[in-house]
Order: sequence, then C-alpha cells, then structure tokens
Amino acid sequence: MWAMPLMNDGLKSTLVQPATAEPTAARSTVPVWIFLLTFLLLFLGTVYFDRYSGWFNRQVYAPYTSGDQLASYQPRSGAAALLAHGRVAYETACGVCHGTDGLGKPGQAPPLAGSEWVAKDISGLARIPLAGLNGTIQVGGHEWSLSMAPMGAGLSDADLASVLTYIRQSWGNKYGAASADEVKSVRAAINGNAPSAAELAKMTPLERGHAVFQKYGCFQCHGQDAKGGVANPNAKTAEQVPSLIYVADGYTREELINFIKRGERVIPKLNPTGPEPPHFMPKWGPVIKDAELDDLAAYLLSLKPKGDNLGF
Amino acid sequence: MRTNNKFTVFLLGAAALVLLGAGVVRAEDQLDAETKARIDRFEKGPASVDVSKYPQDIQDNYAIFSQKCTQCHKLSRPVNCDYVLPDEWSRYVKRMMRKPGSGIDSGDGKKIYEFLVYDSSIRKKALLEDKLGKLSADDKAAAEAKIKEVHDKYDK
Repeated sequence: MWAMPLMNDGLKSTLVQPATAEPTAARSTVPVWIFLLTFLLLFLGTVYFDRYSGWFNRQVYAPYTSGDQLASYQPRSGAAALLAHGRVAYETACGVCHGTDGLGKPGQAPPLAGSEWVAKDISGLARIPLAGLNGTIQVGGHEWSLSMAPMGAGLSDADLASVLTYIRQSWGNKYGAASADEVKSVRAAINGNAPSAAELAKMTPLERGHAVFQKYGCFQCHGQDAKGGVANPNAKTAEQVPSLIYVADGYTREELINFIKRGERVIPKLNPTGPEPPHFMPKWGPVIKDAELDDLAAYLLSLKPKGDNLGF
Repeated sequence: MRTNNKFTVFLLGAAALVLLGAGVVRAEDQLDAETKARIDRFEKGPASVDVSKYPQDIQDNYAIFSQKCTQCHKLSRPVNCDYVLPDEWSRYVKRMMRKPGSGIDSGDGKKIYEFLVYDSSIRKKALLEDKLGKLSADDKAAAEAKIKEVHDKYDK
C-alpha cells in the first residue's frame, strides 16, 4: 500500500536525491578481531587437518590419520603381512643404527643392504640379534670393530622371524624368508644356560635383574658386573663406556628407568672435530619389558660399593 | 588490484601460520622434546651468579663450580634450573661427577654441592620454600637440616 504514491508519480518522489549530491564510498575499518579470529580458525583447522586429514588422500577417512595407517589395517596374505610386520619391528629396534634404508652408519653400524651376513643361513643371521656381536667383522670388504647389543633378545620368535625376513627381502636383498621355528631353535641353542621361566620365578628381584643385564647384553658395553672399562673412542667420558656401579648416587629409580628406556643416541665427543664415538646407549623402551626394567633397576641400584660415602 | 594485494598478504600470512602449526605438532611427537625445551629455557638465562655478598669460602666454591661444570655444559643451565633441594643437588652433582673423565673429585664435588645448596637457599628461596612445602614432614626436616648444615659451616 505504501508504495502506491511512488508508482503513480515517479517524477516527483521525495525519495529521489537532489542532483547536486555526489555518491560517496565510505571506508570503514575491518575490526582487528575478525583477522585474529580468522587466523585462529585457520590455524586450528590446519592443525586438525595435519592430524586427521590423511593429507587429503581420498582413501583415508577419520579416524585414520594416514594412508600407511589405513593400509596397516588391511588384511594381507601371509608373505606381505610378515614383511609389513617385520618392517615395523625393524624400524623400532634396528632402524636407528642400521637405517630405515638398510645402509647403516659409518663407524657405528654396518650396512645390511648387500651384506654377506644377511645372505648366510638363518641360524647364522639370527644369532646376531639374539646374542649380540662383539669384536671385528668384515662386511662388504670393510672391517668393522664394534659391539652390538642383542637387540632382538626381547622379541618373540615370530616377531624376530618377520624382522629377519624383512631384512633378507628389502633394499635389493633377495633371500628366503625366516620362520619362527628356525629362530626358536637358534634361541634355544644360545640360551642353553639362560634361566627358565620357572627358575626366574624363584629368584630374588636382584638375581632376576642380573639375568636381565645378561640377557640384553648390557655387559658388552658396560662390562661384566657393570664395572665399565669398554673403550669408546672419542667419547667425552674418558673414551670409555661408563661403569654403572654408582648409578645409585646419581639417579632415582624412576630417572634410571626413564634413561634406559630413552637411551642416549648422541654421545658428546671428546674432540669436537673427531669421529662419532662408536658406542651409544640404545633406546631400550621398545625392547625390554616393564617388569624386566623394574628388576634391572633394582639390580643396578644395588651395585654401589658398601661404605662408599662421599659425605654429601 | 588493491583487494588482490590484500588477499595475497592474507594468503601468505595463512601459509606461514600453517607451517608454524605443522612444526608445533611435529615437535610434540619427539620423545624428549620436553627435556630439550627445559634445558633451552634454563640456558637462555644469565650465565653467572653475583656471589659478592656470599662468604669468601662460598665464593671460592663458586669458582670451582664455574670451572668444572663448564667443561661439559653452559653454566646458565645449573644457574637457572629448577633444582633447589639438597637431595636434588646431591644427586645431580654426583651424576656428573661419576662420569668417567669428569675431573671432579669427591672434594670438589662436595664444594660444588655446598655452593649450590647455599646459593639456592638465597637466590631461589621462593622455589625452595615451595618445594619444601610439598615434602612430607620427615623429608622436609631432613632437607632443612642439610641446608642448615651448609649455612652453619660457611656463615660466620
């Protein structure tokens, strides 16, 4: 109804502006908080995408976070499953030194790709992760003088078999798969003197802790009864691996366990321009079981010589 | 054109934030990122202690402390860290001292420990009170006795 007069008399509408008035373009400032809010939302959105998007892979939907993760849940045939499983275990326990590419680290760990040791029969190969290595070996025409802790001693037969299979069938290596039974027989041969589960159950925590110390080859670097003395050229710690008999002085039980779990990948150098010290503390968290760590800590904390009191 | 420029700036800013965000998330994945951050924070603080008002013998201990400890790490790390209790200092001094080649004998170790306990009871008094308050009655009494022992030895 109100529009009627306009319709009837368009020429004389009071709403028409005088001809003299120029149209103006007013500028109003956008409030700062809108920018802040936009950035914040963008930031949160990006963080969310980083975590949950699977990086825009169309095959990935929440709650999975990557194509690899999704693939790991897919049912697989025997051989592929074994390799995928072996790869995960390898990268946790071995990859830090031997590299996810199997090429090793100069002066610290020999390559596994193309290594003649990988080509050996399973019993020869399985012995290395199960018992560790100490001394000089020839790999690919080079001499390596190192010690390796028995990083595979904490893995089950099936897990270690999958790791060995992965090593034997990756990076250009093309050898037969390893089976859990083969690993089992090598383990039995090595552990002829190791305490059985029944024997372990009868031991005191300190005795069990000593058994753990032996099982994981701690003595290879820290010496028999943890008394130290093993050479570690160019390590700031007087070029040797530290003795452990005084850990009770310097660590609480929790600190000690956390240190063993975390390890110390980079050992400070005595001569900063010199070579990397060959020995370092492996990350034992994924290898040694929690109950074993408890016993190991009890054993290590008991090593401090009686009456050795510093007076502070 | 003007709007286009603004939009470009906006996009660049957003991209920078995206990178930052991804960086933060990645850093969280590292196991000991927390420890590293703590050490970095401590090391950014002052690298010396004003000991001019401390007793002469404590000043001498400070000289040993600054000489021995800087063999391996910045002095700002212990100077600004959050250890204040006698047991904490005893443990950490012994941990460093027991490293092969530390060059710290038990006499030096004790002097360093006494300096750190003395200094903490003055320079980090608030933190010390706070930590003492959280201990059990027995532990608190034991810690206070150790602090008193150091003060009795050096305050004349």
